[in-house]
Amino acid sequence: MSKLGCSSRLVVILSIVILALALASFTFGPIGAKLFGIQVPSVLQISKPHVSLPSEPIFHVGGFKITNTLISSWVTIILLCTLFYFATRKMKEVPGRFQAFAELTVGGIYNTIRDITGEKYARTFFPIVATIFIYVFTNAILALVPLWGTWGPIEEIHEGSHTATIIVPFLRAANTDVNLTLSIALISFCFIEFLGFSKAGTANYLDSFFHFRALGKSFTELFKGHVKAFISGLAFCFINIYVGLLEILSHLIRIVSFTFRLFGNMTAGEILIGVMTFLVALVIPSIFYGFETLFGILQALIFAGLTLVFGLMSLAPHQEEGAEEH
Amino acid sequence: MESIGINWQLLVAFLINFLVLFGLLTAILYKPVLKMLDERSAKIKESLEQAEKIKEQANRSEEQIKAAIETARKEGQAIIAQASQIAEKIKEDAKGEARKEADVIIAKARDEIKLERDKSIGELRSEFANLTVLAAEKIIKESLDAQKHTKLINEVLEQSNSFKQN
Repeated sequence: MSKLGCSSRLVVILSIVILALALASFTFGPIGAKLFGIQVPSVLQISKPHVSLPSEPIFHVGGFKITNTLISSWVTIILLCTLFYFATRKMKEVPGRFQAFAELTVGGIYNTIRDITGEKYARTFFPIVATIFIYVFTNAILALVPLWGTWGPIEEIHEGSHTATIIVPFLRAANTDVNLTLSIALISFCFIEFLGFSKAGTANYLDSFFHFRALGKSFTELFKGHVKAFISGLAFCFINIYVGLLEILSHLIRIVSFTFRLFGNMTAGEILIGVMTFLVALVIPSIFYGFETLFGILQALIFAGLTLVFGLMSLAPHQEEGAEEH
Repeated sequence: MESIGINWQLLVAFLINFLVLFGLLTAILYKPVLKMLDERSAKIKESLEQAEKIKEQANRSEEQIKAAIETARKEGQAIIAQASQIAEKIKEDAKGEARKEADVIIAKARDEIKLERDKSIGELRSEFANLTVLAAEKIIKESLDAQKHTKLINEVLEQSNSFKQN
């Protein structure tokens, strides 16, 4: 009668236990300690989350610091490559489970991209957009695995008057390193601009910023003897160049927004989970783990989706402009 | 920049990481899987087309069979109609022939009968004439002499005997 596959009595007992654990960690945790003046038992003593925006170096190779986020991203890469290597090693017409998983992943992402770009450009966008999505998503999900952020040497740091003990984890959520998000943002930016220059054509692409063709038009007006039209055209030209500069700036700002959107969201998520775990050690943080899973998918989707959309915009700049003019 | 940890060395490392992942995934995931998906969709398309073709062919052959049956039926009907026509004709012909023959026979019989009657009438007439002559002679010969008389009677008798004998 129960959907959970166990008897209803067990469900009741389990929910009572879970509720009791939540209540206990609430009352005996830091909140209870403050409210009722109880000493926090050592089991529930969890160190306050220590926010360190730069990733912590774990060891050095020559002059190069290997940080925990870097290790974490290596783990992501190794995991993904191993998984998909074994999934696609022996491709069969009738897929096994692994192969079906790989096909589902690739097919799902590919179909989504094709729906947005159309058949013509789907293959151009697919590899980079899919890689961004898979990479960001896997980083976000791995960050929720218990080893991440908890396994590492304990160090003492001095903050002003008092000392605090912190864990320097061997593995830290890769998305919480600004260098990682910046690297993907740079690649996304380069990809978008490359598409603009190569597919739309250099002249077309630059013209979409500065409207040089309008300038040429106003000069032909001058040769026809329409001085007034030439002057107004010239004035518009200066405006256009100014708008073009703004446009370039907005393209550059995309790097920053890409970087800090992912970095901010992921760091905030990590801190949120840390704080919740510190306040209510049991049960309640699970809810936030669910949230973070969702945010991981969402951020990966946003990053990949924006790359796709900006790329499409730079592919057909004149259509864009035309759409704006009419 | 330092406080959030931007570090060009790390940045380069992450860039390399991403490019490595990009390359590896392209090699081991995107290419083979997309190829497989393309092949599969091509195969599905092909088999659908083939099925369509087979269906069409089946339809066509069914129609052909129907048409063949139809023509055969028509031919059969035509043959039957022709045969009955021929039979009718044969019957008509036979009837006509028989009638003609019968007519001929009847005519012949009629002729024969007529001939016979004519002959009989002729014979009767000659007989009757003879008898008349005889009677007349008798009447006339009374007045004749006895000799001649006897002679005539004998002759008539003889003649009547011969007539009887005939």
